[in-house]
Amino acid sequence: MEEDTKPLLIPVGGDESNYGIMNIQFNPEDFKCKRPFHVEPTNIVSVNDDMQRVTDEASAMNKRIHYYSRLTSPTDRALIAPDHVLPAPDEIYVYSPLGTAFRVDSCTDGYGKNSSIVTIFVIWNTMMGTSILSIPWGIKQAGFTSGIILILLMGLLTLYCCYRVVKSRKMIPLIDTSNWEFPDVCKYYFGSFGQWTSLLFSMVSLVGAMVVYWVLMSNFLFNTGKFIYNYVHDINVTDIVPGTNGSNKVICPSAAGDHPPQNGSMVFSSGNSTGFELFEEWWNKSQTVPFYLIAILLPLLNLKSPSFFAKFNVLGTVSVIYLILLVTVKAAHLGIHLEYNWFTEDEFFVPEFRILFPQLTGVLTLAFFIHNCVITLLQNNKNQENNVRDLSIAYLLVGLTYLYVGVIIFASFPSPPLSKECIEQNFLDNFPSNDIMSFIARIFLLFQMMTVYPLLGYLARVQLLRQLFGNAYPSVFHVLILNIAIVGAGVLMARFYPNIGGIIRYSGATCGLAFVFVYPSLIYVISLHRAGQLTWPVLIIHIFIIVLGLANLIAQFLL
Amino acid sequence: EPACSDEGLDTFMENYFTSQRDNIFRNVEVLIYVFDVESRELEKDMHYYQSCLEAILQNSPDAKIFCLVHKMDLVQEDQRDLIFKEREEDLRRLSRPLECACFRTSIWDETLYKAWSSIVYQLIPNVQQLEMNLRNFAQIIEADEVLLFERATFLVISHYQCKEQRDIHRFEKISNIIKQFKLSCSKLAASFQSMEVRNSNFAAFIDIFTSNTYVMVVMSDPSIPSAATLINIRNARKHFEKLERVDGPKHSLLMR
Repeated sequence: MEEDTKPLLIPVGGDESNYGIMNIQFNPEDFKCKRPFHVEPTNIVSVNDDMQRVTDEASAMNKRIHYYSRLTSPTDRALIAPDHVLPAPDEIYVYSPLGTAFRVDSCTDGYGKNSSIVTIFVIWNTMMGTSILSIPWGIKQAGFTSGIILILLMGLLTLYCCYRVVKSRKMIPLIDTSNWEFPDVCKYYFGSFGQWTSLLFSMVSLVGAMVVYWVLMSNFLFNTGKFIYNYVHDINVTDIVPGTNGSNKVICPSAAGDHPPQNGSMVFSSGNSTGFELFEEWWNKSQTVPFYLIAILLPLLNLKSPSFFAKFNVLGTVSVIYLILLVTVKAAHLGIHLEYNWFTEDEFFVPEFRILFPQLTGVLTLAFFIHNCVITLLQNNKNQENNVRDLSIAYLLVGLTYLYVGVIIFASFPSPPLSKECIEQNFLDNFPSNDIMSFIARIFLLFQMMTVYPLLGYLARVQLLRQLFGNAYPSVFHVLILNIAIVGAGVLMARFYPNIGGIIRYSGATCGLAFVFVYPSLIYVISLHRAGQLTWPVLIIHIFIIVLGLANLIAQFLL
Repeated sequence: EPACSDEGLDTFMENYFTSQRDNIFRNVEVLIYVFDVESRELEKDMHYYQSCLEAILQNSPDAKIFCLVHKMDLVQEDQRDLIFKEREEDLRRLSRPLECACFRTSIWDETLYKAWSSIVYQLIPNVQQLEMNLRNFAQIIEADEVLLFERATFLVISHYQCKEQRDIHRFEKISNIIKQFKLSCSKLAASFQSMEVRNSNFAAFIDIFTSNTYVMVVMSDPSIPSAATLINIRNARKHFEKLERVDGPKHSLLMR
């Protein structure tokens, strides 16, 4: 069949500037974008477990483009597929000629195939942090009614700012921002000032979280050790701190300061009293236990890739669910103790509106903080058009969880014998160390924090060292020094200022100033101004938000 | 080959219709006229078309006429039906007393292949008989699907399938795959004759059939040995050759 050897198309004239007559719109410089839209199977690095089939239309189109590209010489552009016939970028697949395929996505992990439920859950899980332990204290500081109102308002405000973060990439014209996270957006608008400040505030949030973790881990390890020791040695401990009587004991540790100076407990036991004193000397919440943790955690921090610990993510969810359960059971046993005094102090109750409310807003800024990684989390959502809806649902669930735990603990705190002022910054401290339910909670949280701590350290290390040295692991010494510094900060705090409510509110208000209040609003206003769409109401509202953020931070130091 | 410039085109067309007219338009079986949907000179296009029709009416009044409204991908998707309907009405009106069949086509989707397949289908004189024979053949050899392709273009002339197939674009895809393979073969100065593709779920055989056709047989029972199917195809070949020869040499499937 000699006819087969002749090419079916002979290009007329070799002059490539004549392409204008062919009615195909394309950019002659941009040759690469006209290739067939599939990749050889050898270039597929990793493949999903459930392979998706490519659509029949896409498969037919691929075959068509492949065939047409063989009909002419490579220099002839007559048969290059124009843009308008190729599928949209989010419909382009990588697939093998056998028809199995997976969708190409710009993000490296996950393939944009999380359903809405999974996305909502991941956001909820990431936001649920140790701040849940301080919410009852925060409500106590702000007053019951104003506490509830503030949780709702802060939730809405941080949700709006989060929405601004999510939308910030879209308003950048002409550049492909699909790989950008929020710090990249800050760098675009504010140059290297934006880059360095966003790094600084990100480090504040991470190191703040790690310090809180250290304090809590020391606390939980101490209480666990004490419980085990007392259980093993069959010691019946009656703390001299004031508490309720009966089986569901609630104690007031901070009131112990009014009592005789020894910072210990009286022991009524049949055991060896010198042994117990030795134990008390070597197992002390702030003097010794924080140092014991170093032996476990510092080596873990130095690991190059802590991805192993990501598998324990489920412990966080289990801990929160268990805490909700614990709170419900305790409230069922203790009953509700609420009395409404609007502005006056009382021996047992606190006013409904208190001047100390900024302490709650500081805690809530960190409690609702996800702004530095929300873009990455939402990128894996299968239906991107539902992003705002899913984010809002996640915020609602987080707010409800915090509200539930805070309100129930506050309401059920046994107020006639004890004052509401007794609610501790970590509400588990209000239960004695021999309480079984809180013992289990502490164990869960201890293990969970031990697995999250190296992940936080990894994030902090990667961000800081990559920015400073261009490399996430420049040498063992750099990493070791950084880790010692972080661990040192944790140990110092646990030794001298183990008030997690305080640490949370200071670090929350600080990093929240940048990522929650200032940057999202400022970027929105600037982008509207550049597009010529800025109106006075929008400007005033967003300036008001920035002022709120500043006030939030300043109030932490004043009150 | 048409020249690039408009003046050259006009000259060519005038020559075509005047000096070469009788030669070109005598003994025509099929006229396929292609319109560019983006053309800015509708009047001129219609004028040339009508000249063709006049010549056809004089010299070969029995010819079948097909009009392709081409490059439809350049029209906005929501406008395509509307614009095509308009053109179709105009063309039908202008073609009287001759009848024309209109298709909207683009090389970037399946419409061109479908249009050409329809055209070819209408040109085969004994296509119903061919289909019946194909069905018998397929049922005897227990094939899932049997396709008959035109030899050069690999347009599907006729097919039989015993159950619903998922991919409605499979004909065009096979056509493109084999044509591409033929191209690759020709670069090695080899000519494509036959192909067998099999895996644990199916076996497909593509082979030369008659002087104008290729056949493709798809068997979903991989336990049937290839040799059996190939013998069946060889035996069927003689039968289908006879069918083709029945109408004599005046019939040709496609003019090159």
